[in-house]
Amino acid sequence: MSPVLDVTDLSKAYGDVTAVDHVSLTVDEGALFGLLGPNGSGKTTMIKVLTGQIRPTGGSARVLGLDVEREGLKVRERVGIIPEQESPPSFLTALEYLEFVGSVRKIQGIGEKAEYWFDLLEFRDKKHVLCKDLSRGTRQKLMFAQAFIHEPVLALIDEPLINFDPVMQDVVKGYLSEYVRKGKTIFLSTHILEVAEEICSSFAILHSGKLLHTGPVADLTARGTHLPEFFLSLVRKEHHA
Amino acid sequence: MPDLFMRMMKEEWRLHSTMFGQISFALFPVMIFGIVFMGSFLLPLMHSALPLGNITLITHAMFLTLGIMVGGFGLLGNEMMNRRFGQASFLAYSARSLPLSERYIFANFVLKDTVYYFFLWVLPFGAGYIAASPFTGTPLQSAFLLLLTLSLSFMAGLCTVFLLSSLYVRSKRALVLLVAAVGVGFLAIFLATRINPALYFPPYLLYHSFSLPGFIASCGVLAVLFILSVILFSPEQSGGITIHRDLFLPARKRFAGLPNPPLVAKDFVDLHRSGIGVGQTLFSFAAPLVVIWFFLSLVGSYLPPHGLLFLFAMISGVIASTIYTWVTEFDNFGHYSCLPVAVSTLIGSKMTTFSILQIIPAVFISLAAAFSGEVAFILPAVVLCISFSFYAAGIMAFLCGLSPSVLVYDVKVLFTYLVLDGVVFAIFSALAFVNPWYALASLVLIIPAWICVKAAKRRWDAVDPVGF
Repeated sequence: MSPVLDVTDLSKAYGDVTAVDHVSLTVDEGALFGLLGPNGSGKTTMIKVLTGQIRPTGGSARVLGLDVEREGLKVRERVGIIPEQESPPSFLTALEYLEFVGSVRKIQGIGEKAEYWFDLLEFRDKKHVLCKDLSRGTRQKLMFAQAFIHEPVLALIDEPLINFDPVMQDVVKGYLSEYVRKGKTIFLSTHILEVAEEICSSFAILHSGKLLHTGPVADLTARGTHLPEFFLSLVRKEHHA
Repeated sequence: MPDLFMRMMKEEWRLHSTMFGQISFALFPVMIFGIVFMGSFLLPLMHSALPLGNITLITHAMFLTLGIMVGGFGLLGNEMMNRRFGQASFLAYSARSLPLSERYIFANFVLKDTVYYFFLWVLPFGAGYIAASPFTGTPLQSAFLLLLTLSLSFMAGLCTVFLLSSLYVRSKRALVLLVAAVGVGFLAIFLATRINPALYFPPYLLYHSFSLPGFIASCGVLAVLFILSVILFSPEQSGGITIHRDLFLPARKRFAGLPNPPLVAKDFVDLHRSGIGVGQTLFSFAAPLVVIWFFLSLVGSYLPPHGLLFLFAMISGVIASTIYTWVTEFDNFGHYSCLPVAVSTLIGSKMTTFSILQIIPAVFISLAAAFSGEVAFILPAVVLCISFSFYAAGIMAFLCGLSPSVLVYDVKVLFTYLVLDGVVFAIFSALAFVNPWYALASLVLIIPAWICVKAAKRRWDAVDPVGF
C-alpha cells in the first residue's frame, strides 16, 4: 500500500508557541488512522496544515502526492474535511448549504446526494431550517455530510463524534468503517480513546506538538494492552518528564 | 456593572492591540490628534473661503455621522449576540452563562463602545484642536466647548441609531412611522421658518451659545434615547424556528454569468436573510448621507456652481466603498476552510458582490441630482461616485484583505488609506469643480482599483488566513 499522507519533520509555530514540533509520520491507503492527544497537543493544527489551510513553518507534508504548502487548494479539492468547530454559514438552510458545497465542488446530482445524507444522518426534517437555528448535533451532521458528499479518497476529520448521541455515534462509526473497507482513507483526530481503539487500524499520539508514538492498534492488542491505558501512561510519563 | 464594563474595555483593547501590536494601535488616536493639530493651522486659510460657523457645522455633522456609523452594529438584532459578541467579544458571549440578563450585557456593551470610541476618535480630535488653539488664536474656552459639543454630536448619532436599530428589529412599521414623523417635523420647521433644520441641531446651537439648561436638556435627551434603545433591545426575534424556501439555487442561476456564482449567490442570500442588506443601506449608507446632505447644503453657496452635487458624489463614493466592509463582515474565512476556496477567490467574489451593490449609490446620487435640480449632471456625478468607490474599495481590499472592519484600526493601514484616498479625492473634486463634465475622467480610477484587487489577491494568498 502506498502512503496517501507523508509527513516529514513537520513544524508549525504561532509566534513563540510551537504547536507542531518536528513530526514525521505516514498513513497508508485504506487506513483508518487516529491522531490522538490531549487538548492543545497540536491535533487541530496538524489537520489545518495537512489540508493547506495554514502553512507549516518547517518540514514538509504530502497528501495524495500533493505538497500541502504549494498545492493546498488542490488538496482541499480532493479530500473531505470536518473542521474542529462546526461552522456552516448562519443564513443558509441545511439543504442550501449542501447545494452550496456541491456548487463549489462542482458535484453532479447534488440534490439526490443531499437527500441520501438527510436520510442516513436522520435530519430530513431540518433541511429547510437555517444553520444558525440548528442544534450543535445537527450542525455536526451537516458538516459530516459536506465532508463526504463528494466521496473523497481521503477524509481528514476533527472530532467528528463529539456532538452526537450514542445512536448517531454508532451510525457514524459504521459509516467510517464501511468507508475504509472500500479502500478509502480516514485521518481522524479525536480524544475519545475508546472510539479510536474500536475503529482505528493505526494511530499516533501527539503531546505538546511532539509525536510520542505511532503504530498499528493491532500491536497493542497483541501485547494485551488497551489503547486508553497505553495513551494515559505515555502522556502522564511525558507530563512528568 | 463597573467590573463587566472594565473587563469589556480591556478585552476590546487587547482584541485590537494583539492584532496590530500595542504600539501600532496606540498610535491610532495619536495620528488623529496629529492630523487635527496640523489641520487647525489651516483654519485661517479656510476662513477666507468658508465662514467659521459653517466649518463648525460640518465638523458637528462629521461627528454625528461617525456616531451613526459606529452605532450601526445594533441593526444585526438577534444575530448580534452571536456574531458580534461571539466572535469579537468572548467576554460578552460567555457572560450569558452567568445570571445576567442580555439587556444588562447589551447596556454594558453599548456603554463600552461609547467610551472606547470616544477615546479612540472624539477625544484625540478635540485634544488636537485644543493643543493648537494657543497658536491659531482660538480662545481656549471655545476649543474646550468644541470638544464638549462634538462629544454630544457623536453620542447623538450613536444613541439615535441604537434606538432606530432596536426599533428595526422589533417592528419595521414602527421604525418607518418614526422616521416619517421626524421627516415631516423637519419639513414643517423648514416650511414655517425657511431655515435649514440642521441649524437647530442642539450640539451646534450649544457651541454657538452655551447655556447650562441647554446642556442638561441635551444630556437628558441622549439618556432617554439610550434607555429607550436598551428597553427596546430584543436579542431574540419572536416566532421561533421557521422553514425557509430555497433561495440559493435560484440566486446561483441568476449570477451564473459572473465569476464565482455560488459564492456571490451565498452573499446575496446572507444579505437578504440577515437583514444586513436593508439595514446597512438604511443605517450605514442612506442615514449618514442624508445627514451630510443637510449639512453640506448649508455651504453650497461657498462652492463653485454644481459643486455641492459633486462634493456630495465624492463623499457618497467614500461611503459606498464601505459596502466592501458589509459584504466581508457577515462571514469569515472559517466558513470556507473545509472547501477548495482560496482567499483570493473570496476577495474576487466579494468584489463581484460589491460591484452589484454599487447600484445603491448610483440610484442614491441620481435621486440627489434629480431633487437638487441637477438632472443634466446625473451621469458625471454617478460616474465620479462609483469610480471613487471602486478605487477606495480596491485600496481597502489590498490593505485589509477580508477584514477591513478590523484592520482599519491599524494606524499604518488607516494612514495609507487616508493618504491614497485623500490625494485622489482632492484631484477629482478640483476637476469636477472646474467643469462638471471633467468628472467623467474619474473612470481612469478603475485601473488602479483593478491593480489593487489583483495585488490584494496575491498578498492575502501568501499569508495564513485569519478568521477575526
